Amino acid sequence: MNPNSLLFPTYRAFVQSVRKRGARFAALLAGGGVFTAFIIYFALYKFLAYVSKAPMLGAVIGPMIGGLLVSKLLEMLYLALFIMIVFSSVIAAFSSFYLDDEIRLLMSSPIPSARIFWSRFVLMVGESSWMAAAFFLPVFLAFATAAQAPLWAYLIYPLYIFFFLLAPNLVGGLLALSLATLFPIRQMRKVFQFLSVMVLAAMVFFFRYMEPEKLLNPSYFGSVSNYILNLQNPLTKIGPSAWMHTATRTLFEGDPLVSLRQLLPLLTLLGIGLFIMHVLARSFYRRSWQISLEAVENQVLGLEWLRRVLIIPLRFASPEFRVIGQKEITVFFRDPAIFSQIFMMAAIIFVYGYNLTILPLKDLPSLYSGEINDTMVYFNGPFIGFIMAAVAMRFVYPSISMEGRAFWAVKASPVPASRLLQVKFILYLVPMMALGLLLCFISNRIFAVTTSYLFLISFLNVFMMSIVITGLAIGLGTVFARFDADNPLKISGSFGGFVFMISCALYVMNLLVLEAYPMFRMYFYRYYPIAGTGSRLLILLSFVLLIFCSALWTIVPLMRARDTIERYEPE
Amino acid sequence: MNQNEPAISLTGIGKHYGDFEALKPTSLDIMPGEFFGFLGPNGAGKTTMIRIITGIIIPTCGSVRISGHDVAKDPDAAKRRIGYIPDRPYLYEKLTPLEYFEFVAGLYTLTDDLWKQRSEELLKLFKLWEWRNELIESFSHGMKQKVAMCSAFLHDPDIIIVDEPMVGLDPKSVRLVKDIFKEQVKKGKTIFLTTHTLSVAQDLCSRIGIINRGSVIALGTLEALRIQSGSDTSDLESVFLKLTEEEAEEAMSHHPTPA
Repeated sequence: MNPNSLLFPTYRAFVQSVRKRGARFAALLAGGGVFTAFIIYFALYKFLAYVSKAPMLGAVIGPMIGGLLVSKLLEMLYLALFIMIVFSSVIAAFSSFYLDDEIRLLMSSPIPSARIFWSRFVLMVGESSWMAAAFFLPVFLAFATAAQAPLWAYLIYPLYIFFFLLAPNLVGGLLALSLATLFPIRQMRKVFQFLSVMVLAAMVFFFRYMEPEKLLNPSYFGSVSNYILNLQNPLTKIGPSAWMHTATRTLFEGDPLVSLRQLLPLLTLLGIGLFIMHVLARSFYRRSWQISLEAVENQVLGLEWLRRVLIIPLRFASPEFRVIGQKEITVFFRDPAIFSQIFMMAAIIFVYGYNLTILPLKDLPSLYSGEINDTMVYFNGPFIGFIMAAVAMRFVYPSISMEGRAFWAVKASPVPASRLLQVKFILYLVPMMALGLLLCFISNRIFAVTTSYLFLISFLNVFMMSIVITGLAIGLGTVFARFDADNPLKISGSFGGFVFMISCALYVMNLLVLEAYPMFRMYFYRYYPIAGTGSRLLILLSFVLLIFCSALWTIVPLMRARDTIERYEPE
Repeated sequence: MNQNEPAISLTGIGKHYGDFEALKPTSLDIMPGEFFGFLGPNGAGKTTMIRIITGIIIPTCGSVRISGHDVAKDPDAAKRRIGYIPDRPYLYEKLTPLEYFEFVAGLYTLTDDLWKQRSEELLKLFKLWEWRNELIESFSHGMKQKVAMCSAFLHDPDIIIVDEPMVGLDPKSVRLVKDIFKEQVKKGKTIFLTTHTLSVAQDLCSRIGIINRGSVIALGTLEALRIQSGSDTSDLESVFLKLTEEEAEEAMSHHPTPA
């Protein structure tokens, strides 16, 4: 039996799930996905094409510095993506190698453990990377177009990306295998404490090493030549992201042979990594799986005090609200996998906050700083939206799926589907809105917003986004519920999670488009005060449409969710 | 509860899954205080029937009334009167039994004093009191089944719907559960039970229905079924096998297997 045959059930399950939803749905989804990808690709391409010319620096020096800046940005993306996938692949590996239900059956079969391992590894790579690949593919292609890469390069480049994504998965897989040999994997807290320290250290190192703030401000470097030299210096001289970056640049320049030679270290490393993994899998996989079966430690006590504090306000709610809320909070704190999720989200918020603090706003000429800061508020909205969507995908989206096979108890009870959804929506809206408003408040302080109108708009954006994102997460999380999934990562990393992220992106675009006119008027209002009923009416119409669209984005998925629950037949 | 009104009244309920007819249109009345046994081979439609009665799944046709309340139109009133024990005790594993009961009590809007008192009584009755603060995930199948049973009795329902209650229980617990069911019926509660353990049905049920291939093929007391089947003995197993085999033969004669 080869590892592929072990993947057959997963493949069949995927085909069945697509068939179940019908061709129209698949076409709609594919269309939406391609449309979003195209928007990302096109917008980024335009931005990169502009930056690569850097017209404000003149016809000679502009393209030189601009090209280097674009190249540096690509290098940073490679490095960030590498670190991100290492972490997510470790989490996916725990689940895929040790915690999935079907592994017991596989281990009891006569199939050699190395073969079982490789089939699980393929699943793990798919689980940890497919979403990043789907989001980053249009991003990387935009770099290729901006660099005016030859057409044949577009055929080879996806292969490069595949090899590059395999590298962090190998690192993650090896780490998981080694950790599982040392710790009982079900005692995740210990493992994640270790991992958290490791990743935090990596992130701090990553940002301090890159010092991206300096790249935006040539005055740090004493002279232009120093600045150019700094841009030319690679972030890391060796390593997968450095090799990938050099090979990609050469590929875009149209030299495939040299590019392949530059990629050779990465390919060699992959070969060595796969060999080591095979040896380790043969020697340790079965043993580490045995260790993973060790008894679960009592994880109730660790955060029991926090759980007790958080359920206090629910005492004042109606009985069904109180018990559903209590159950959500309790299950949340007792799920060991949740620690990794919290950490990952904290890392994203940390990156966001850090990037805000290093923006060289204080170095901008004072005449323009007001306008630029104000404009930043407008563009900061989507960033906060992205963070809220990422948090919602990990914590809110899996909420209905996490009811699991115990959902019959709710279905058999007098609580209607609409009430359950209402309770979950309100319950998750509170922390989501608190997070959004907090991020908005901090960023407004950093931008030192000068106009009260913009200040209010930024809060309105977050207010709207938190409602819509929570509604989408609960709604789509129900429509695409996976009651059989054993951990939240698997649920949020599923096809439905992807649909949720695309939907959030589309809503944020919808929000920005509808706010464009009022913002345009506000941006220039101090020079061209709003005059005439027409402008005022258009601004009013924009806001009315915004409220109407936001209501639709929230209510429609929740209504679909209600129908899904009513039709759902538990096992 | 009005003693002249059926506790459970099924009118023409049926269920289709695409072209497959899981349950053919069926009508049935079960009176208050009745202990009704619903038997049938695997895949006959027992669990589908039970889930329709409890309002967990929606029938393709027909209606269900629980003590006069339509499950589709007035689910709140109908479901409050039912306690459901499923065949597989899937529970919230990260909760303790007491936390789980608090959750269920909230869904049925029981007062704090009431659910606490009932929980203690039930946990002691099912010999689970000392495990009340342990996570359900550490329980055996039988213990989980008992927790599911306790939660079904928590709101003191008039009608108890039980799907395969004895699976995973040790002989002592089987005896306990049988005694509890008998006690409930004595109190005037209605029980609708499906089981493959025919001796349990024979011991407990006052009336039995047999379902096969989605149709109710026999209905009545054990004696009435024996007469219908033409069986010589009053043993339910013989009656059941005779009725289901005859029905299968009849079905085969209508739809012969292609050569």
